[in-house]
Amino acid sequence: MAGTGTEVDVEPASGFAATSRVAGDALSDASAADPLPGAAYALARRFAAGATMWCLAPTWPEHGRHVAVEFVHPVIMGTRALPAVSITGPDPVAAVRAVARPGDVVLAVSTTDDPVVAEVLRRAPAWGVTTAWVASGAAPTDVRADLLVHVDDPDGSAPYDGRLVLRYHLLWELTHVCFEHPGLLRDDPAGAGEVCITCGDEGRLAEVLGATADGLDVEVRTADGVEIVDTSLVGPVARNDLLLVHAGIAIAAVAVAGLGAGRER
Amino acid sequence: MTDFLYPFIDGDEDDLGALMADLAASVRDKAATSTALRIATLDRARSQIEAAGEAMAERFAAGGRMFTFGNGGSSTDATTLASLFACPPQGRPLPARALVEDSAVLTALGNDVGFRLIFSRQLIAHARPGDIAVGFSTSGSSDDLLVAFAEAASRQVLTVGFAGYDGGDMGRAGLDHCLVVDSDSVHRIQETQAAVAYAVWRAVQTSFEPVLAGA
Repeated sequence: MAGTGTEVDVEPASGFAATSRVAGDALSDASAADPLPGAAYALARRFAAGATMWCLAPTWPEHGRHVAVEFVHPVIMGTRALPAVSITGPDPVAAVRAVARPGDVVLAVSTTDDPVVAEVLRRAPAWGVTTAWVASGAAPTDVRADLLVHVDDPDGSAPYDGRLVLRYHLLWELTHVCFEHPGLLRDDPAGAGEVCITCGDEGRLAEVLGATADGLDVEVRTADGVEIVDTSLVGPVARNDLLLVHAGIAIAAVAVAGLGAGRER
Repeated sequence: MTDFLYPFIDGDEDDLGALMADLAASVRDKAATSTALRIATLDRARSQIEAAGEAMAERFAAGGRMFTFGNGGSSTDATTLASLFACPPQGRPLPARALVEDSAVLTALGNDVGFRLIFSRQLIAHARPGDIAVGFSTSGSSDDLLVAFAEAASRQVLTVGFAGYDGGDMGRAGLDHCLVVDSDSVHRIQETQAAVAYAVWRAVQTSFEPVLAGA
């Protein structure tokens, strides 16, 4: 029966050795905790504020293209075209770094253990982008997106059997429901960070752009733009290293697991 | 006048709670519709899925290759199916690829001979008797797919179509196998087409299991 959120076994046809198992979908029992409404509302607010959505799916680039085409060329007449772009190619981290601007959205479709997506998500605060992640597999542990739509997928079939497609279709459909309520889409300040109660400044993530002439100060990129920070506390840094910046000073180097913080990307 | 009844119309609204409740209800409703359509279609099309899987397995076993195609979102569904066949999470890899991946080829054909020939011209270059052509269309009536299927049939290529609505022109084109998702929602059709395509892949893999067991 539809809507039960359980797995339904369809009787195997004669001649089939294996059963044609049909996964039921827990979404039809979606509770208040379901992330799709909040994620769609956040996307709508970012789009209303002028965001471009960069879509990447390193293992399944077709899913990134599918998301982008939904938004750019809506199938339902009268819904507005929204700027979404699929990012493909050999180095999605470098590609997103080059094109994303503060206030944009990066939407990833991947398994929860995708190392490229993990690196994008870790760097996203320095780029000032909101991250949305349609992820399948075991629940993610140490990697976080601003908006997570997770599908448990023990046998790896979710990318193929329509369950990931359903999630991003719903994101698109709900985003357009939000656009029917423009009064609720105004005034979306790009995320405010934790503020230090002593000095009023935040601890912000920064990505190194390059050294200045004296070698101690470096040019970094943060969600607020490009600035110069003092690196005397953290020692030598290389381009694309991640730093935690506080009151104009790099107070810590942030390790990037998986692909290596020191690797120039 | 309508402000009193429909304060949302001016954008002066501030009832976020009502919107979020609407969205949550929408998720439940659409997901239930999607699941019901998927289950009903898999149940109704069971024998067609089995027949398509067996025919495709025979072609693969004899050295055939699979070419997939579609437009827009359906082009990505075509790539998903080709990826599943060629690089499956489990099971036997089979030679499959999508004809939508190469922008040089697509723009050359679109510019020089017209959009409706973008897939048929590729089949002329690549397809041999015994191969398999798989096309995805929600309307069932995409012109470029119909031309490609006609070309495939003329070359003794097995034709397998995934369509929506009532099957459209693909349903009447005499394809070897045409799997129809009876819905008029493009999104719900694509979700169920993926589930049907996955079931076809399982049927093909099942046909190979005795071969693998004996290997």
